Amino acid sequence: MSLPNATEDLSSEMEVDAFRRLFPLRYFERHLAESIRPDGRPLKEARETSIFLGAVASANGSALVKIGSTTMLTAIKMEVMTPSLESPDEGCLAIDFHMPSICSPIVRPGRPAEAEPVVSKQLSDTISSSGMIDLKELSLVGGKAAWMAYLDIYCLDADGALFDAALLSAVAALSHLQIPAVAMNDDGKIVLMSEEDGQKQAKEQVNKEKRKLTLKSIPLSLTCILHKNYILADPTAEEESIIETHVTIVLDTSGQLISLYKPGGPVLAFTSAIQDCVALTRQRVKELKSFLDQANSAMEFE
Amino acid sequence: MAGKSGTPATYSPSPTTGKKKSTLFKEDWIRPDGRGFHQCRPAFFRTGAVNAASGSAYAEFGNTKVIVSVFGPRESKKAMLYSDSGRLNCNVSYTTFSTPVRGQGSDHKEYSSMLHKALEGAIILESFPKTTVDVFALVLESSGSDLPVVISVASLALADAGILMYDLVASVSVSCIGKSLVIDPISEEENCQDGSLLITCMPSRYEITQLTVTGEWSTPKINEGMQLCLDACAKLAKIMRSCLKESASDAQDESS
Repeated sequence: MSLPNATEDLSSEMEVDAFRRLFPLRYFERHLAESIRPDGRPLKEARETSIFLGAVASANGSALVKIGSTTMLTAIKMEVMTPSLESPDEGCLAIDFHMPSICSPIVRPGRPAEAEPVVSKQLSDTISSSGMIDLKELSLVGGKAAWMAYLDIYCLDADGALFDAALLSAVAALSHLQIPAVAMNDDGKIVLMSEEDGQKQAKEQVNKEKRKLTLKSIPLSLTCILHKNYILADPTAEEESIIETHVTIVLDTSGQLISLYKPGGPVLAFTSAIQDCVALTRQRVKELKSFLDQANSAMEFE
Repeated sequence: MAGKSGTPATYSPSPTTGKKKSTLFKEDWIRPDGRGFHQCRPAFFRTGAVNAASGSAYAEFGNTKVIVSVFGPRESKKAMLYSDSGRLNCNVSYTTFSTPVRGQGSDHKEYSSMLHKALEGAIILESFPKTTVDVFALVLESSGSDLPVVISVASLALADAGILMYDLVASVSVSCIGKSLVIDPISEEENCQDGSLLITCMPSRYEITQLTVTGEWSTPKINEGMQLCLDACAKLAKIMRSCLKESASDAQDESS
């Protein structure tokens, strides 16, 4: 990453690294003028993305997702609850996003990151409003027992676009989730069934076989940052700290808009800019969907 | 979606055929994972797991998986008094899904201070006056011998961050179950142990930074246990050293 030969700017007399730290915005704009980003990417390209399913052996569903250096580990644990009176035939999905202090220098133990509750709320809103999961599928015995799915997302390395990576890992873990086979015993408690004693038990089987959830639509997202007339896809932490205007767009795989976040920032998002962002997201969603399908078919192959 | 207040009480469905603990560890038992009594789990180390940190390391000992990030040396908290030597700050936390029953990992509040005590003797604190080095550990999956694994990985992460140390710190624990000593115990073994012994040492200097003994031990047993741990620590340190050398030579290859 060397700067182009400057003419009379300070940067000609200064080391690149010092210039980058002292004048982050100028450093950044010099790159934009050349249509390239500090990490060598074109403006509208997302970072390399990988999905690995089944990373947590003890969970019912799990996924490890990397977008560039941003790493998310998601695990789902299924527990049993008594459903509420208002919705006796529905289970529940509890989504929590965690930023442990290992993930970034700005998070310290006992002082949670500002982004943590924001991303947590965004994720639950997005997943519930997308209608991806039918909560009725999580019911076991109407009015008596239902599944409570605890979905915990841990950020292991924070390098920008946290929401995108968190959503992708949540969706991937849900696609990997296997609901265990259970039966109800005489005390009305739900117990696991092991494969050997499946037949001989006189218990009432409530979920005969391991099964997967049917995911109706899959929400996927792309975050862009806006600076002057530039649109940059999938920002790194450094870029996010320099530019304050973020737009996050969530689409489902059929291209339907699920949500759009533009939390403040000095750049006004005109219709054309938003349309460009949506177009970028549409492309990215296709790409992410194919990664997800690949990861899932690799699991079946094993 | 489910707020803390309105969350209904939940439980995880238990298997129908629950093994009784007493039957598991009779006279001639074999370890649940089939290891010999004096055989450690295969260890896997990798440095540079977290880019956002100054140094980091990840390790897998069987199903125990730990990640450690090191930040700094950086400015100490404002409230701290002036100090000629550097400060070390440690924190150990668990993911909610690390234990078989969700959310039990937070029971280990004492691990943070034990990690601090195990490491502080090995770090040359004078080399970063007035500043603080933060060592944060996250246990991704817990399956026994968590603390010794955390300590070993933390020393590797410190080395990766370039913090000056007298030597790498390796840590191994031994459980006493009935008449036998088992090294590097898994959770099931730890749950029914009669006593445990944990040694943290700097193998090349042959110095011990921490020794914890709990439960009932006879003198010959303690001697045997300590010898087992020290031998295992020496072997562990070799593996850690080779991991560091590998990542250093990889970095050289990339730059050349």
